[in-house]
Amino acid sequence: MRKVLVGVKRVVDYAVRVRVSADKSGVELANTKMSMNPFCEIAVEEAIRLKEKGAAEEVVAVSIGPKQAQETLRSALAMGCDRAIHVQTDIRSDQGLNPLAIAQLLEKVVEKESPDLVIVGKQSIDGDHATTAPMLAELLGWSQATFAARLDVAADGASAEVERETDAGTEVVKLPLPAVISADLRLNTPRYPKLPNIMKAKKKPLEALEAADLGVDLAPTLVVTGVAPPPDRAAGVTVESVDDLVDKLKNEAAVI
Amino acid sequence: MIPVVRDLYKRLLLVGRAYPAGLDHVRERAKREFLERRDLTSEADIRKAVGYGRYMLREMEGVIQLKKYRTLKARGYDGPARP
Repeated sequence: MRKVLVGVKRVVDYAVRVRVSADKSGVELANTKMSMNPFCEIAVEEAIRLKEKGAAEEVVAVSIGPKQAQETLRSALAMGCDRAIHVQTDIRSDQGLNPLAIAQLLEKVVEKESPDLVIVGKQSIDGDHATTAPMLAELLGWSQATFAARLDVAADGASAEVERETDAGTEVVKLPLPAVISADLRLNTPRYPKLPNIMKAKKKPLEALEAADLGVDLAPTLVVTGVAPPPDRAAGVTVESVDDLVDKLKNEAAVI
Repeated sequence: MIPVVRDLYKRLLLVGRAYPAGLDHVRERAKREFLERRDLTSEADIRKAVGYGRYMLREMEGVIQLKKYRTLKARGYDGPARP
């Protein structure tokens, strides 16, 4: 297997407490800490491990987003990717840019790069769609294995075995390459990039493309009509006695 | 300052950015530990101190990775059922 393409996304950092913007149109992004989507980190880690095992020769990272997405790509390069591609668009990736458009843009990148394997995170923590990987596989006509918890590429590079997470446990599937894999939480633990690698990453090639030039209709197919914070938790109620508590649990909360 | 020592301090601050307790806490603690050891001269002592610093660095990275995993798991991101 020669080339692995990894898709990464710049999202609001997982630890940030997001706030809804004043006009309730979306999440407040100004001055919030952004970083690589956790599942994208797991995807990059898996691709790097394939390269370290000798199963792949080159790992290319791709990201779709504004100019700042290049910082995310530099993190991917620091983790060990060889090259990066930035598809520039200022459409908000958590709202205006829908998974179908992302999949179509990635399809164009795949046509350009001809990778043998595409690894992405299973979902992004801002969109939570989990549809980009399956859509991309369909557009390409490739096999797909989503929610991967283990990935083994055959020695001849023609097939892969993936253990998938399902609601009932795990399922092992074997699929021919080229294929699209989406990474789940238990696939691996992403490495922390070392300072020398971060320095080296600044010199690795990063190619910038314009999303509008790739011949994809970027108009949103899904429209966000409103965003609201979760309701405030109601205050607790103090009870006088154990009997009172049991009575409340039985009648009001209906848990016993 | 010896390059190895400066490199260690820079790495601690870099990782401190993602540390749950915050960069200020890490910077304060790191500065204190470095200043306590400012008078070391023998190469063996310095190497031991840098080794200790690198050990703390690995521990910090571990804490960050663990916190991230546990938070995502608690939010229901392990497995296909989307939260």
